[in-house]
Amino acid sequence: MNDQFKNYLKEKIQITDEQFDSISGNLKIKKFDKNEIIQYTGDISKHGFFVCKGLLRAYSIDSKGKEHILQFAPENWLISDRNNMNNEASVFFIDAIEATEVVLMPNDFMEQAAIQVPCLQPMHTRLLNNSIRFMQKRINMLLSATAEERYLDFIKLYPNLTLRVPQWMIASYLGITPESLSRVRKELANKHFKPN
Amino acid sequence: METKQVSAVLKSPAPHMVGDGFRVHNFFPGGYTINMSPFFLLDYGSKIQFSARRIPRGVGIHPHRGFETVTIAYHGAVAHHDSSGNSGVIYPGDVQWMTAAAGILHKEYHEENYSLRGGPFQMVQLWVNLPAKDKMGKPGYQAIKQQAMAFVNLPDNGGKIEIIAGNYKGQNGNAQTFTPIHLYNVRLNKQGKANFSFPANYNTGFMVIEGAVKINQKEIAPVDSFVHFKNQGEQIDVEALEDSIILVLSGEPIDEPVVQYGPFLMNTQEEINQALEDYNQGRFGYIEE
Repeated sequence: MNDQFKNYLKEKIQITDEQFDSISGNLKIKKFDKNEIIQYTGDISKHGFFVCKGLLRAYSIDSKGKEHILQFAPENWLISDRNNMNNEASVFFIDAIEATEVVLMPNDFMEQAAIQVPCLQPMHTRLLNNSIRFMQKRINMLLSATAEERYLDFIKLYPNLTLRVPQWMIASYLGITPESLSRVRKELANKHFKPN
Repeated sequence: METKQVSAVLKSPAPHMVGDGFRVHNFFPGGYTINMSPFFLLDYGSKIQFSARRIPRGVGIHPHRGFETVTIAYHGAVAHHDSSGNSGVIYPGDVQWMTAAAGILHKEYHEENYSLRGGPFQMVQLWVNLPAKDKMGKPGYQAIKQQAMAFVNLPDNGGKIEIIAGNYKGQNGNAQTFTPIHLYNVRLNKQGKANFSFPANYNTGFMVIEGAVKINQKEIAPVDSFVHFKNQGEQIDVEALEDSIILVLSGEPIDEPVVQYGPFLMNTQEEINQALEDYNQGRFGYIEE
């Protein structure tokens, strides 16, 4: 099994190698090519994805053909369409922005693993809390924040994505036009750039 | 004086694209693990034909910090713009020595007229590390035209050596460097001979751009190969088996820790995080797409 996922858990909870082995038996590693679509809308996927290496994104396409990015998932992020948990069809596409290696996490992985290793339960609750907190903040930002505020929040959350994804994807995530994003970056440069 | 022995003659690793304009073989640090400090990276764009295009191919705006990019053109032409206000075109034989230091944004594209015609394209890009004390210095730009380069003619119509940086037999190259570096374009006629002397501890390599050469009367290095030398001995002999061009690199190693992330080359992870923060906050400046 991949060490990245083990290390991720070890940073969050006290788990021994033996305990990890006891829960990781049915976890599989999968590799995706750059630009590969790994989940389509309408799919009912039996697993989510833990990113060991690379970068995934979840997005929808509206009736005019425009993409809206819900989430980026670089290393150590989890990404899934939660509809699948209720055995309902995905409403998001997930694709690989870079060549990516993931752990496929069965939808019931946390529940099952927590039976064997009880300290996974509070961790799972914390993760869910964080995820909801993240979504609440994101909704609030989309409703009320300026383009600059959204961008500043984005670079705090994802400091290296400005080097890894094209501008239009960042704009799509922020719910602004690429032109607005350029303007924000230009204004920041005007404020902060000191030629020496 | 002892002979500097060849450590390996390395073939081009599989190429990858940088943007859509540069198809490069990364000899190091990706392709091979070899001691080449102060040279951190060698991307070799072997000769290929690009079809004509109205919108030039290239690589869009990106930042650099903590080192220098040195671009050496052999075929085709590259246009450059950066956030320090410098721009220029690198034609075959020319060299662009860009010191990113504290930070620069730039973009590199096929030059318009070349793009409209298409044709052969061949170049080298080196990343030259900077010592810690100069990493946050002022960005700089040296455009070194082939006509202005110092050179030495080789005996017996053997060819000539263009000195980009450092010195050769008393002639000094134009480029200003932060640590001791010798960088030459060696243009040999068939059977032309040249010899070099570099301190034993200098990391040294030859990129064979054209033709084929025999090194120290023994090893044969064909076109598109990189010859890596051991850190013992000083003297190197070269003989051209056909008309040849080699790029000679030799430099005093910078004995400091190196942390690379993408386009940043620093000494610590904290400095990398700072570079990301500064880039995101616009402290590298702004240039239009």
